[in-house]
Amino acid sequence: MKEENQLEQNKREEPLSLIARAMITGFTGGVIASIAGFVMNYFNFTEISPKSFVLKSWVRASWVDGWLGTAISILIIGLLSLLIALIYYIALRKLYTMWMGVVFGIILWGLIFFVLQPLFPNIPAFVDLEVNTLVSTACLFILYGTFIGYSIAYDYHDTKEKEQKEKEQG
Amino acid sequence: MGEKDNKIPVSSKIAENESYMTKKLGLGVSYDLGFRELIILKRKVHVFYLTGLCDSAIVQEIIKVLIAINDNESNQKKLPEIIENRLIHQQLEPTETMDEAIDQLLSGLIVVFVNGYKYAFVVDVRNYPGRSPEEPDTERVVRGSRDGYTENIVENTALNRRRIRDARLRHEMMKVGERSKTDVCLSYIEDVADKGLIQLIKNRIKEIEIDGISMADKALEEFVIDRKWNPYPLVRYTERPDVAANHLLEGHVIIIVDTSPSAIILPTTYFHHLQHAEEYRQTPALGTLVRWVRFFAVFLSIYLLPFWLLLVNDPTLLPPDLSYIGPTEMGNIPVMVQILLASIGIEFLRMAAIHTPTPLSTALGLIAAVLIGQIAIDVGLFIPEVILYTSIAATGVYVTPSHELSVANKAISICIIILTGFFGLIGFTIGIVLHVLFLTHMRSLRTPYLWPLIPFNPSAMLHTIFRIPAPFTNSRPSIVHPKNNYRQPDKKN
Repeated sequence: MKEENQLEQNKREEPLSLIARAMITGFTGGVIASIAGFVMNYFNFTEISPKSFVLKSWVRASWVDGWLGTAISILIIGLLSLLIALIYYIALRKLYTMWMGVVFGIILWGLIFFVLQPLFPNIPAFVDLEVNTLVSTACLFILYGTFIGYSIAYDYHDTKEKEQKEKEQG
Repeated sequence: MGEKDNKIPVSSKIAENESYMTKKLGLGVSYDLGFRELIILKRKVHVFYLTGLCDSAIVQEIIKVLIAINDNESNQKKLPEIIENRLIHQQLEPTETMDEAIDQLLSGLIVVFVNGYKYAFVVDVRNYPGRSPEEPDTERVVRGSRDGYTENIVENTALNRRRIRDARLRHEMMKVGERSKTDVCLSYIEDVADKGLIQLIKNRIKEIEIDGISMADKALEEFVIDRKWNPYPLVRYTERPDVAANHLLEGHVIIIVDTSPSAIILPTTYFHHLQHAEEYRQTPALGTLVRWVRFFAVFLSIYLLPFWLLLVNDPTLLPPDLSYIGPTEMGNIPVMVQILLASIGIEFLRMAAIHTPTPLSTALGLIAAVLIGQIAIDVGLFIPEVILYTSIAATGVYVTPSHELSVANKAISICIIILTGFFGLIGFTIGIVLHVLFLTHMRSLRTPYLWPLIPFNPSAMLHTIFRIPAPFTNSRPSIVHPKNNYRQPDKKN
């Protein structure tokens, strides 16, 4: 707790690069997760593809089904992921544990598949989804949450520790 | 070892020293303990040595010179000074206590007692039986230096020093083992390596109170690292001094244990185990390619078999383009059992290959390739695809540069195969998630094991995925918390 207090004190000195790094992490995480999502969709692990969320629910053009649609949805998810990383950075960066990331992933999954589901006309209701789909997507979200959460928390923790050390050494 | 206060001092009466040595060391019982009495200027001088661990030529030379004192000197009172002067060796040390004299004697140094003098002279004439440096079997390169560590710690530290002539390179010696008194050397660069890490390792080593570490570095590793039952290797071993020197410059700490030809690199992550000196001898582009192929092979060695099993058990997962995957006929035994049997069979062969003498290995190879593989298909035990995919996965195991990592990966692969066999897709996905979370959760001395992937570090990940040319490697990896972050001035290039 003592450490926590000290960290509170130098809040103002927080370097911008920490946020920048969190943003890079967010983007990379989004891109990797959406690529994994497409692969999982290709092998029928899940009946819904990342495309169904970000494009198919709104856009009805022929290019959506091609590689262009795939590339664009990867990009969109990467950008959306910036927002998610920002939320994690603001709210939870001080919890230095990977389990928070796991929980974050599960919450995010519940939010998208259960709470926000009515927003996406292309996604079946939660109860109508296959068990395989639910498990696969939950697994993906857990790994995604861990990636984002643990990376941001570790980076924050590590930077603070380094600053502390530099201060001690003068 | 006794307490500091009740250490027995060297007596000025030489007979007392002799009887102490007889009692403590079993002089006359142990044949390897040698003793020679000389009379120099009418005073007794005793020379103790350990046969086999010291260089006879040097010992003879020293005795020759000692005896020559009779002809050249006459001042009996100054005998100890004369002897100290005439012991022709660069490493001479007077010692006050019998314990230290005995310790040194048992390491192969000679101890000289002079009657009427309260010190013993210890001369370092060690010459351990051992081989000369040769290229390590497990880490061969096409080009590059061919020297490797030997079982001799002095030679090993010398090999490091030859590569880093930095005044700030530290070789700290410690002794481990109450009985074995094995030398352990902690190497690091003073103004680069993380002080906290060095202190942590030192404390862990000092806490060891075991009688002996015959299994040298491995036993020491188990004391230093927290997780005893973890299948994954939490330190990296290397037998190549150039690899060790490179890690020293990056800010890692190296532990060298006497009698072992491999050095321990700390701290280590998963991706350290996937590196090999070979890719640093190629052009950066080809080195990168080599690395990608290796990553792919290692990935296959873990996930190929369970994934294929999943597709066989549940062909509805296959996309239309890939519908040809999977066996045409299913065979007599469930595919999961076939895969497990084949995997265990490969383990049999691996173990047999280690123990088989070289002249018989051709016969073993023949049995493996023709008899077992082919006949197993012919009698209907295995379907051909099982042999194919198991072989690919097995090759992936051998591609892994770190032997320890490859075995751990294989064990995990078998766990996921069993999960997949019983629970299908759900078992497979949950197996992968558990595997990744397990790796993420692991720490090697406070270092996250999957760094730089999780937690993500963009620049370090770049260095992992690409083999960056040496002129561009400006900074040290942040994971070792280097005190000095720059390997070269930033403006170069």
